[in-house]
Formats: sequence, C-alpha cells, structure tokens
Amino acid sequence: MSVAPREPATGRPTVLVLTFARRGEEGAIGRALDWLSRELPGARFAAVGTPVSAPVLRAVGIEEIATFGGGRSARQVVAESRRLGAASVAIIYSGPGTRGHLKLEALALAAGAPRAYRFTPDRPPQLVGRWSLLASVKAKLLQAGICLLSGAATCAAACCYLRLRQLVAGGGRARRP
Amino acid sequence: MSATLIIINHDGCQLLKGSAPAALAAAEQAGGCHVVVADDGSTDDSILYLATTHPEVEVLALPHRGFGAACNAAVAAAQTEAVVLLNNDVVVSPGFLPPLLDDLAADDVFAVGCKFLNPDGSLTDALGNRTACRWHRGLLYLHHETDPDLLTRTCTQLYANGGGMAFQRSKWLALGGFDPLYRPLYWEDVDLGYRAWGRGWRVLYEPASVVFHEQGGTMKRAHAHTQIELMSAKNAVLFTWKNLLDPGLFRRTLAAQARWAADDVLICTPPARTRALLRALRQLPEAARGRAREQRERVLSDREIMAVSRGDG
Repeated sequence: MSVAPREPATGRPTVLVLTFARRGEEGAIGRALDWLSRELPGARFAAVGTPVSAPVLRAVGIEEIATFGGGRSARQVVAESRRLGAASVAIIYSGPGTRGHLKLEALALAAGAPRAYRFTPDRPPQLVGRWSLLASVKAKLLQAGICLLSGAATCAAACCYLRLRQLVAGGGRARRP
Repeated sequence: MSATLIIINHDGCQLLKGSAPAALAAAEQAGGCHVVVADDGSTDDSILYLATTHPEVEVLALPHRGFGAACNAAVAAAQTEAVVLLNNDVVVSPGFLPPLLDDLAADDVFAVGCKFLNPDGSLTDALGNRTACRWHRGLLYLHHETDPDLLTRTCTQLYANGGGMAFQRSKWLALGGFDPLYRPLYWEDVDLGYRAWGRGWRVLYEPASVVFHEQGGTMKRAHAHTQIELMSAKNAVLFTWKNLLDPGLFRRTLAAQARWAADDVLICTPPARTRALLRALRQLPEAARGRAREQRERVLSDREIMAVSRGDG
C-alpha cells in the first residue's frame, strides 16, 4: 500500500518519535526531546504508541500520538506514520543491549523520513541515514533467523530424544486411583 | 502437631540475625517445634553466630552443593512428619505456624505456602502468593495473585514458594524432593508442586501464615542479574521438557520455544533465550529420566493439574 506523505498543516517540521515508552523512561525521552528541540528549533513532535505507552508519551509533551493495538494492524500504523510526513525520525531506546532497536528501526525506515536520530543510554545522539538503518535492520533480521533456526533445531532434538526414550521405555502410565 | 523448621543458609550470617530469632519465637509459640539451620557450606560466620547467640538452634553443616541439595539433605534428616522450609532472608511472623500445620493435617495435602509480604508489610511482587500457571502463545507463564482482596482465604495453588512452605515429609520423600535438574536454583519448587498435583496431592495457600521476604536477598548477592535470568530461563525450558506429558501441549510448547528464542532479537531483551535453550539441551538426558518417572507415576493430566490447582477442578 502506497501512501503519499502529507504536508504538516502547521508548516513546522515534524519529528516522529519512536520509543517503547515504558513507565520510568520519561526522563530519557524528555532529555532526547530537549536535545531535538535545540537541534531542530520549532519542530513539532509526533509519536506512534500503544494504549499503554500513550500516557507516557503525552506526559513528556508529544503533541500527536498515533496509537496501535485495539484492532489496528501494523500496516495501518505504518500508513499513519507515513501520512505524518515527518522530516526526521527519533529512535529513543533506553533498554539494555541494542537488539530491541529492530522494531523501532524497521518502523523508522517504513515511515520514510530522510534522516533519523538514534538515542541510546550509553552513547551520545547519533544521526543515521536510511542505508545505515537498512543495514542494521538486515543484520538484526539475520540474527533473529539464526536464533530461530538454532531454537528450532534444539527443540526438534529435544522432541526426538524424548520421544525415542518414551518408545524405548514403553510409555507406561500410572493408573488413576 | 510437632514440626521442624528448616532455614537454608549460605553465607547469610547477616540475614540469619533477622530470620533465626523470628523462627525460634514462632517455634516456641507453637510448641513442640524446633529450628534447624541447614548450612550449605558457608564461609562466613554463620555457624559461629548460631553457636554463640542461638545454641538452641540445631546446625546441619553441609558441603556447598546448592539450595536444592541442601533442602533435600535437611528434610531427609528431619525427625517430624511436618517440615517447614524457610529461606534465610524470610522473617516469619510470630503466629505463622499454627495455620500452616492445621492445613497440613489433611491426608491429601502435600504442601501449604505462606503469605509473602515485603519487609514494609506491602504485598510482594515476587512469585509466591496464590501461584498458578497460564498459557500464552504456547508458552507456560507463572502467575501469582497481586490483588490483596483475593488473598484472604485458604485456597489451592500450583506450588508453594520454597522460601516459606510447610509440607508432609513422607510425601516429599516419595516425590524425591527438589530435583537436582534445576541446579543451581529456580523452578525446583514449581516442579515439586506440579509433580505433587500430578499424584493427586493438593498444594494450598494459607494467607493467615504471614512471612516477610526480602526478595532475592541471597541470590542478588551471589549472582548477577543476567545470570539469574539465564538460570531461570534454562530451568523454565527444562520444566516443560520434563513435566509436559500432554502430546498436544508439548508439541505446541516446543514450537513456541523456538519462536521464543528468536524473540530475543525482535524484542528488547539480551540474547539469553538461545543460550538458555542450549544449556537446557546439555541436561536433556537428565530431564528425560525425570519425564519417564513422571509418566510412570502421574495420575492427573497436565490440563487437570492446571485446572485443579486454580481451583477449577
């Protein structure tokens, strides 16, 4: 489905904020928005969130929140984020490790903004291009595939071994009292 | 009814200063009970502290072999049919013992779990109060009640938290106690409760028996958070491989576990799940032996266990 980007009605550049926005992350999100406000004066902030994260996003001053869940598919959310016509995307991630970026990075790519800022707890804000985001998403999908395959192989081995043991043992069952 | 209160300790001298006097006071109030500290190879002053401050406490000095092994050795050595197991970071309330022992008097009851509160008296977030399990997308999740209004009456539960539970020693021995499959820690109490239900014995929750628990007091000192996550995830996998005998549930669980490993990358968790699966694989023969034993001795199906432990049966 192709959706034409919409010009923001206000004439101000829109920054699409992508974050899991868990409770307790208000500080990290707030600091990222302060940094963006200095870097992109006059920008308006929009975000994609769930009914759970929406109150957190509202609390930090996001003006427009597109919520998903409650019957709205990922495709509808992507379409909505594209319609925002964001000039920039901000990926704010305050969890452990870096792997959780995958969902946010994929949505950032799908939103179609020409540039993205990445905020992580252990690094200063980073400006990343679309190619860099794409490479990151591909690498993480590859990792996910490897994990899925190794998990499937492990579980298949376990299943075969346990079935074999059961067959050898005869599979006797206790009787009900 | 007389009972043995067993406190499991490893390098917890400071924690014993809170838990041992409280256990002694409760034992004295109940009458006919005595306190044993099973010391799992402590290198601190735990034994010296008990000998000098509480000589009435019997100390069972064991080589360091982990929580489950220490519990099994201490229960085997106990002289009473009713045994109460306590963590060294659990401080019991003075009247916690009579309600537990009253519930335990029924023939078909294996174990009774206490009501766990935080040291400040609030309800603990940790698993322990009216435990149950539920299925979500093929995976087994443990659940515990956090609504105080639903924790006011004696009821069935899936398992009694090993940090504060009373049980019948003869049934414990028949079950083989905590399975060393789950070494060093986590899920051994879930496994024990599940196996007891499988034999048709009930596990109860007793809200009148209050204990205060400093969550993870011992574990947080001994292990990093990621290690604890890994141990717990590995043992969760082993639990299903050993105990799920329903062919449909078992197949769905295995498929879900593969997906669960991939979710490491798709959601924001460190890559612990794949490692947990691989570690569980190393213990597969041991899990298979336990599974074969369950197949011989189980009288309730998995679905029945889940239903009756929730009180739906």
